Amino acid sequence: MAHQTHAYHMVDPSPWPLTGAAAALLMTSGLAMWFHYNSMLLLTLGLLIMLLTMFQWWRDIVREGTFQGHHTPPVQKGLRYGMILFITSEVFFFIGFFWAFYHSSLAPTPELGGYWPPTGITPLNPFEVPLLNTAVLLASGVTVTWAHHGLMETNRSQTIQALTLTILLGLYFTALQTMEYYEAPFTIADSVYGSTFFVATGFHGLHVIIGSTFLIVCLLRQIKFHFTSTHHFGFEAAAWYWHFVDVVWLFLYVSIYWWGS
Amino acid sequence: MASRLLRVCGTLRALRRPPCPWPGGIPSNEKQATGLERKVMQDMEKGQDPYNILQPKRYPKEDPNLVPSISSKRIVGCICEEDNSCVIWFWLHKGEPQRCPSCGAHYKMVPHHLPH
Repeated sequence: MAHQTHAYHMVDPSPWPLTGAAAALLMTSGLAMWFHYNSMLLLTLGLLIMLLTMFQWWRDIVREGTFQGHHTPPVQKGLRYGMILFITSEVFFFIGFFWAFYHSSLAPTPELGGYWPPTGITPLNPFEVPLLNTAVLLASGVTVTWAHHGLMETNRSQTIQALTLTILLGLYFTALQTMEYYEAPFTIADSVYGSTFFVATGFHGLHVIIGSTFLIVCLLRQIKFHFTSTHHFGFEAAAWYWHFVDVVWLFLYVSIYWWGS
Repeated sequence: MASRLLRVCGTLRALRRPPCPWPGGIPSNEKQATGLERKVMQDMEKGQDPYNILQPKRYPKEDPNLVPSISSKRIVGCICEEDNSCVIWFWLHKGEPQRCPSCGAHYKMVPHHLPH
């Protein structure tokens, strides 16, 4: 039986990259179909296949790492680089929307009345629900760090409790934001104010949902004893992502909610 | 379908189960690592590195590779790791030791005279 003489992971052939590409094709063409021909069939199919791809691909990674032991130190290092680079790309994604906000708000055009917030827009009070949201996310940053320490100190019950608390705080944030969206006195169609507000906070909210999902997966894995006290990169990646989401919110709060009012 | 339902029940039961054999409830890598990860871990504990994970400690500053030369400079070709096909070529000058720009190995020229 031939054995490798290096510590890297030569992955087995997998269908998920292909199904992922198929999902991307269906979603993009589905979006066009939805816009122009009033049909959501392709879009829904694309979303379904994307979700299935994500579930099965990541399930396979868990199998390869936790159950088959392929995640040696060099492999883990590569995964760390990957996550850091991905988060960096997301930072640049948000930088674009902040650029749009500052471009429009630092020199408000005559159409807006030369003011920011534009004439006719009543912005949300930054010291009401948005401040609560800030406290919720900051607290969740503390609880996720608490969970990490529990993991490193082999304290199972504290890890599970702290991780659960983090997820609950994340869900609370999402619920509060949903309510805010519903109750807001302006819409996305209300000049560039509405556009920048809802696109920036909307993408942030999507990332909160993604981050919460990642944390829920970590919670399930922790309950099923996947993590050890020294090898738990999935958890660390989720925690990094969660801190990134928190930091983006802080920038959103200071720029759009506070300064922008 | 049924197997998925059973798996959910298993997860919930894992929550209610009393803590596992490990103190605190979270296994150490020593207990749970498997496959190649376990093999690498066990070899490292014995001081071995069969999968070449660590950098080879060759030619540090205190023990440079001594390169004889009859003139004041000589070309050195460093094959940083075993079986590398990309040889790192550079001029080695008399005097201060130099390092390979790729792997950092130290080289020092030892001037020689042509016998006459």
